[in-house]
Amino acid sequence: MYRPSAVPWSPGAPLGQHLEERGVSRRDFLTFCTEMCAVLGVAQTMIPRVAQALQDIRRPSVIWLQLQECTGCVESVLRTAEPTIGDLVLDVVSLDYNHTLMAGAGHAVEQALQDAMNANKGKYVLVVTGSVPLSEGGIYTMIGGRTAETILREAAAGAAAVVAVGACAHFGSVQSARPNPTGAVGVRDIVKDKPVLVVAGCPPIGDVVTASLVHYLTFGRLPEADSEGRPLFAYGKRIHDQCPRRAHFDAGQYVEVFDDEAARKGWCLYQVGCKGPATFSPCPIFQWNTRTSWPIGAGHPCIGCTERNFWDTMSPFYGRLPGVSGFGIEQKVDAIGAGLAAGALAGIAVHATATVYHQIKRRKATGELPEEASHG
Amino acid sequence: MTAPTQPRAPHWWQVRARSEVPGARGKFTWVYLWGAPLRAMHWVAAVCLIALAGTGLYIGDPYFSTGGEASQHYLMGRMRFLHFVAAAIIVMTGIVRVYWLFVGNKFERWPALFPITGKNLRHVVAMVRSYARMTPEQQPHFVGHNPLAQWAYTAVYVAMAIMVLTGFALYGQSNPGGMIYVLFNWVNAAVGGLQNARLLHHVFMWFFFIFVPVHIYLAVRSDYIERGGIVSSILTGGRFIPSDESFEDYEATRAVTSEWPAAGHPEQRP
Ligand code: SF4
Repeated sequence: MYRPSAVPWSPGAPLGQHLEERGVSRRDFLTFCTEMCAVLGVAQTMIPRVAQALQDIRRPSVIWLQLQECTGCVESVLRTAEPTIGDLVLDVVSLDYNHTLMAGAGHAVEQALQDAMNANKGKYVLVVTGSVPLSEGGIYTMIGGRTAETILREAAAGAAAVVAVGACAHFGSVQSARPNPTGAVGVRDIVKDKPVLVVAGCPPIGDVVTASLVHYLTFGRLPEADSEGRPLFAYGKRIHDQCPRRAHFDAGQYVEVFDDEAARKGWCLYQVGCKGPATFSPCPIFQWNTRTSWPIGAGHPCIGCTERNFWDTMSPFYGRLPGVSGFGIEQKVDAIGAGLAAGALAGIAVHATATVYHQIKRRKATGELPEEASHG
Repeated sequence: MTAPTQPRAPHWWQVRARSEVPGARGKFTWVYLWGAPLRAMHWVAAVCLIALAGTGLYIGDPYFSTGGEASQHYLMGRMRFLHFVAAAIIVMTGIVRVYWLFVGNKFERWPALFPITGKNLRHVVAMVRSYARMTPEQQPHFVGHNPLAQWAYTAVYVAMAIMVLTGFALYGQSNPGGMIYVLFNWVNAAVGGLQNARLLHHVFMWFFFIFVPVHIYLAVRSDYIERGGIVSSILTGGRFIPSDESFEDYEATRAVTSEWPAAGHPEQRP
């Protein structure tokens, strides 16, 4: 186990030297670099380059803004039972400004933020967790008397790269769910003049943040991303297409309720509302808490937290399809459809009977059918 | 003693020779309506629709589970495979239909899909009224589809297009960056996410479950009342119309193609 804070990273020293001082062996370091290459999906031949780049970096300035959020992302990213080298990298790079980890408070730290931004203008990495409330002039999140929007715009202007971590910074998360009283939006809705990498999820997986930073530190640019701004190395595939329960899905073996035999056997969670088929995320591979488990692994259906507006579009979390409102109460679409189809069939039966009745009358009137025909 | 037996009048449901049915007498013209590609398309699509509905119901809500080891089964896999094959075929029929919108006859071309003139819309009202009041003798006469039926079929094409778009949008997700994904992923954004695309795909399944029985019923009903052979027109391509009746959508010369009693038949002699 590495002790994160035993040896501080002196400003001039390269990362390689710092890790050595902390007791990280060369072998462990190379293992970490190999892992990162695998996570990022870059060729094995790149491992020496990644290692070289990482061990040579001087302490990069990372400013971490926490806006309208619950701190869960910081917990997910920084807290694990046993810190890995990745955590150390995150730990050491993110010291300049972070509400949760800072010892100081008040005007002093706000001044520290200004100083860090001025000293590293155009060079620091800006990490943002939390959404930006815009309603009523943005009064719902004020830090040091300034709105979240002002703070974000100012910090983004001088940043070399912007990384939005978590569903709040992605699109606004639960604050932005209907009816969105605070007018919460994501970072990409505010910062439009530079690429913003979105590490989606509620909370996201720490490894994705680490790997994205490693990519940035090694190659000098953010990893390739999809239309949502999510790095493709992590969000390039659906959960459903990497899921260990997929064999049960294809075989037609489904959990119907949470305590049935099928649930104990670990069958597919499709019927209890799994949103894996609509969700792009690396959860089945990376997992949480030093690869201990993840929601579907623990028997809970995926709720789709890496997708935009998932609170609105993925709910009900335990149902296959969104409910249909406008019928007084939310109804299942199948109940409405079956009702209408049954109504149509009943209508056909009534109409057909009436048609035959009238047609016989008509044909009797024209003499086509004899009046007494039915008496024979 | 046996009294001389009167020939019994047939019951209304009994089969009778044509000469005994007064309504079937007269001069008829056989008109050709539906080209062979259109008819083939109709039946291929009908079979595909049944396959799509059957497999789609399972995919949307797997109504039973298999037992034993997962490695021994591939039920959902097979359902999805059939669904995708049927979908591919129905898309091909759609391509034929779109082509035929431009080269077909006047009953098949694209302007026929949109009976929007005021007269046509009044005919829609007249059709609804005659269905509701059981007064088929008051309904306007059409050789092809009446405007109400045509709007229903146009709605089917629209529903089919929505099914194809949302279907491909969902299908593309398993291979992000692939051709289907690139061509159709915009649909998901347009409807506000994958789950909404899924919901739409599901809702329009119910549209077909309602449309198909109504379609079959009204076709059979009109055959029963008008005796024009409208049901067989989707097999043979044409139907009979009484040569002396006037139609809203048909002006051509009324060459008599069929006549009963036929010329030279004893009943026809003066
Ligand atoms: S548990 Fe969810 S993600 Fe996994 S196979 Fe089933 S539906 Fe797909």
